[in-house]
Amino acid sequence: MHELLLFASVPAHQHHELLQQLAGLTAMQPCHRLERRLIFKAYRKPGLINTRVGASQDLQGNEMQRLNKMLNGGMFYTQVVGSLSEADFGAQSSAVPSGDPDAPMSGIVPGEKNETHSYTYENQPWKLEFRDIPEAGTRSAVTTRLMASASLPKGDIMTPMNAWGYSFVTEYVVEGDIFILNDIVIFLHRVLHYPTESPESHGPRRQLPSFQQMSPLERTGSYILQASITVQDGGNQEMMKTASQHLFGLREQLKSAVRLEQADRLSLDTRAK
Amino acid sequence: MSDSFSLPLRPVSEKRERPDPLPVEIAQINAQYGSFRDVTEDSLRAKIEADKNKDPWADEEESDKASVDEDTTERLDQLYKRRAAINQFAHQAHMEAMFALDFVSLLLSKHTPRQAEMSMSAYLKQVAPLGSLNAEIVSPPPKPDSAATDIKTVSRGWRMQNFNAAANKLLDSANRLETEVTSETKYWNEVLAVKEKGWKVCRLPRERQALGVQYGFLEATPIFRDRGLAALRRTNDGSLILDKGLVPPKARTVRVRVRSRSQITGCSKRRPASDNAESVESRILQARDTVYEEELFHELVREARILGSQGVTTRQNLVQFPVSKEQEVLLDLVDDDQGSLFEDEGVSSHEHDVVADALAHGIRILLAHAHRQNLRRRTQPPPPLVPKRRQTPEYQLLRPVMAYLQHSSQVRWLESLFKDIHQVLKSAGITWDFTATPFSSLSLKRANNELPKVETLVQEFLLPYESTFAGQLVAPQSSFRVKVRTNVTSPPFGTHYEISVHMPQYPDVRPPNRIGLQDEAAFVLTHFVLLDILTSITQAKRSPLNGSKQETDRRLTWDTAYPHSGELLALSSTGLCKKMKVSLSRHELTVQVYSVGRIDALDPSPADQTPAMRSQTWKLDGTPGQCSLMDFVAEVSKE
Repeated sequence: MHELLLFASVPAHQHHELLQQLAGLTAMQPCHRLERRLIFKAYRKPGLINTRVGASQDLQGNEMQRLNKMLNGGMFYTQVVGSLSEADFGAQSSAVPSGDPDAPMSGIVPGEKNETHSYTYENQPWKLEFRDIPEAGTRSAVTTRLMASASLPKGDIMTPMNAWGYSFVTEYVVEGDIFILNDIVIFLHRVLHYPTESPESHGPRRQLPSFQQMSPLERTGSYILQASITVQDGGNQEMMKTASQHLFGLREQLKSAVRLEQADRLSLDTRAK
Repeated sequence: MSDSFSLPLRPVSEKRERPDPLPVEIAQINAQYGSFRDVTEDSLRAKIEADKNKDPWADEEESDKASVDEDTTERLDQLYKRRAAINQFAHQAHMEAMFALDFVSLLLSKHTPRQAEMSMSAYLKQVAPLGSLNAEIVSPPPKPDSAATDIKTVSRGWRMQNFNAAANKLLDSANRLETEVTSETKYWNEVLAVKEKGWKVCRLPRERQALGVQYGFLEATPIFRDRGLAALRRTNDGSLILDKGLVPPKARTVRVRVRSRSQITGCSKRRPASDNAESVESRILQARDTVYEEELFHELVREARILGSQGVTTRQNLVQFPVSKEQEVLLDLVDDDQGSLFEDEGVSSHEHDVVADALAHGIRILLAHAHRQNLRRRTQPPPPLVPKRRQTPEYQLLRPVMAYLQHSSQVRWLESLFKDIHQVLKSAGITWDFTATPFSSLSLKRANNELPKVETLVQEFLLPYESTFAGQLVAPQSSFRVKVRTNVTSPPFGTHYEISVHMPQYPDVRPPNRIGLQDEAAFVLTHFVLLDILTSITQAKRSPLNGSKQETDRRLTWDTAYPHSGELLALSSTGLCKKMKVSLSRHELTVQVYSVGRIDALDPSPADQTPAMRSQTWKLDGTPGQCSLMDFVAEVSKE
């Protein structure tokens, strides 16, 4: 699948107005979205022998070729996305803390807060999202990149990800609103950071701090407007053209409000060096 | 702005101090009317009247009027003549202009010969040599004073006239502006009134300077969605009119009729006419209703086309579908005013008015539900773009309605069948009961937190319908259960009966898996009840009704011989053989007892012991005083 994107930066003071405008344009109420995103980095497992380097007269089978390509291909950062609700923030973890001294907060009787709402890390659904570096040298004024998504098992994601050769890097939260205009998904969002903790954790948080403690990555509190279309077959030039035309149409419609443009290719680089 | 500010626009006309001298007046009168003798009061009055009536363009009009009477050839002739005259005048003007040009050129040729030569005509060049004409400035003789005052007066008069004209124009435009402002105010007040009622007022997309009101449904099919916008135009007096473009302004509505045995027995009610049909509000409402009704009919036809296999037929402006063998439902789109004409025509009774009304409401609710589904679909993240266009599936409008009607008619039929059998058996003294749970599949309390309550409510009716009938049979431990399922959305289409019977006596007898026909289902069910009765007859001996032990001993023992044809055999101790045939239908239960003969043929049968064929029939209405089946059996069992 391919993804065509246009971005715009929205200053904080324009945010509310733009929400109204988008709601009018798309004739729908904004769909609020909170996502925690975990960044994983692919690494080569030590001890992996690269079979048959150099001139081998053996004809490699198709399967073998593919496997080799998979094992020795480029390494990428990938995202694991889990959707949240507002109530998940600052909620007591309902999972029984085992050997984790940080989990129970002092002064709170266990089970008292559980009745209201609890965030269960074990039940958190996840989705793996892979994004390639945007295609280079395309003359059209949209960002185009290869993408793939897959749903993952619930709960602890570290074990399967480690088994697949990914190590946890960091995590953040994305907060924003989604609008749908025909085939275009308009996502007006910003990135939130967790409050810095003294012990640097080496895995995803099992409970979330209160929402007020989250600090935006961009200090001014500005938002990013992202308009995207996914195309099933990126090789189909006609479809890609239609998709970018749709995006240009949207750009024209929003011209008086925001300036949608292509993103810098290298800033969306997902390759792991 | 205060209106106290006023500006005199008309020139102040001064009264002349000194009146015209009489001699001048007399001279004028003499010049105008001739001698004073001819001027009388009457002739002057007549002249004033004539002047008043006379139109400045009257002359031309008269000639026009005259020309109207002439026939076409003359008119054509005249046309040519006039054209010739015009040509002539033009030529003359041209010639005169040329003369003037020649003259000026000749005059100038004295000073600038080369330039002047270029504009001279060839003839003049031949005739007159260049520079042969000269001009000198002569000082004109001084004009007399009287002429100077004349000119002054005339120019003053002209100026006065012009001022007056200008003032008139200004005042006119002020008036015009005022009326314009009042009408604009009226218009905008009405627009605001429309907006305050909650209608969405916006600019028209194709005509940016016009206002429009949106009354349509955002989730409708695009053609109907786009029709939900009409311009709010202003008439000259400022009142608001709703301009729907080319769409006819008639109100239309979908009418539902029920036809039983080719007679219309029910018709849905018309929309109540609005009491204030002329107001903008009611016009908007009417337009909205009409667009909804037309979309409804459009979708009905679209859905009817895919339901051809299920007996739904479409005509140009009619959709009809069968409910049962003798009943069908007709849906058509009629004009509102036409509806009143047709209302009583062909309607033979109002028996099914309620049904028709309910159907009419039902399909409208279903369309609203489809709109909600569209909104839901539209606001979900879209699937990736593929070359094939996604097409909207047909809405479920007819299908749930058809399913409901079919199902309820089938269930009612089954219930009546059971009631009949119950009645027959009751008159035969057998207690047999059943419980009916119509529409057991509908559970309106089913909670679904993700969907709004309205949608869950409607959603229930889009699922296949199911009703269950269950009951104990006469024989102990036997029970039956009938499930009626109607499904029109996915195959298998139609209504099916699933019958399951628990009969320990006939463990290997199983009803067919799925029965689609009523007759077949009735046959299977009565057959099972028959088998059950046979069982209870064979078991009757073991549980005597009220007989003493001696009596019981003397009774015959009935054994099932051919259970599926309802035949029992009994062998008496004397070797006499009796055959009992039980037959059951929904109307009656008949038991016939024959004496088959003796198995031991050597012993002649005593006359009193050969009973004639005995038979007993229990009817539906249950004749009072009849003995019960068990009594009858007990009686015939006596040896």
